[in-house]
Amino acid sequence: MKRAGTYSGILSGGISGRTGPHLLPLARIKKIMKKSSDDVKMISGEAPIVFSKACELLIEEITKRAWNITVQGKRRTICKEDVASAVITTDTFDFLVNLVLDSANSQDSPRP
Amino acid sequence: MSEKEKEKENVVTEKVVSEADELPKTIVRRVVKDKLSQLSMDSEVSVLRDSLQGFCESARIFIHFLSATANDVCKESNRQIINAEDVFKALEEIEFAEFVPPLRTSLEEFRQKNAKRKSESLKAKETSKKGKKKEPSSTDGVGNKEEDEDEIEEE
Repeated sequence: MKRAGTYSGILSGGISGRTGPHLLPLARIKKIMKKSSDDVKMISGEAPIVFSKACELLIEEITKRAWNITVQGKRRTICKEDVASAVITTDTFDFLVNLVLDSANSQDSPRP
Repeated sequence: MSEKEKEKENVVTEKVVSEADELPKTIVRRVVKDKLSQLSMDSEVSVLRDSLQGFCESARIFIHFLSATANDVCKESNRQIINAEDVFKALEEIEFAEFVPPLRTSLEEFRQKNAKRKSESLKAKETSKKGKKKEPSSTDGVGNKEEDEDEIEEE
């Protein structure tokens, strides 16, 4: 019988719930962290776990705000513009404004 | 025509390389859908595939932003390893202080689970070692048992 590793149970949500406390792959989070800056070299084992949960909370926050916009427009499908509006109207999401504007510009630009 | 096809292939390969550095869409979609099911109990709200890309990219840039800030916090305290406390301080600096309490509880849960798993694995190792030690004494066990029975009778 093979025994589960330390992270597999956590990633699969454990025995009780279908959604566990940590969903995002820790190795990929570490990769992205190291790419953020050349100075980032050593990361403790717990840091990616905090990042994983923080990303989950961020996604939930954006989802909630985008959903509000969708409902106000009396629609049932969240589209990219709803996500963009949610980001633009929230001060703490200022670091995402460039991403939203870039994606909007890429859509507007005519294709050759 | 062949040049355009080559350009398209290059674009596709570039996308494939960048997707490997992004967070998996299936997991991001699960987080979004779970949140939507909490928010809208009555009506079903769906998400367009294109907008999922926005969620993934947002999370990736958030990791960049937060890790750079956590790195600065770590440097200020003259350390080289970014730990969980650095991340909590960084969250407060980038005005995401509301995330800190649930993250602390989540980290505590992980630490407790990890400690339990370690203790269970240690116990399993000890029992397996004991099992190996008992095997050579099995032939002598019969004699030992008789001695034990004698001891019991004496008592």
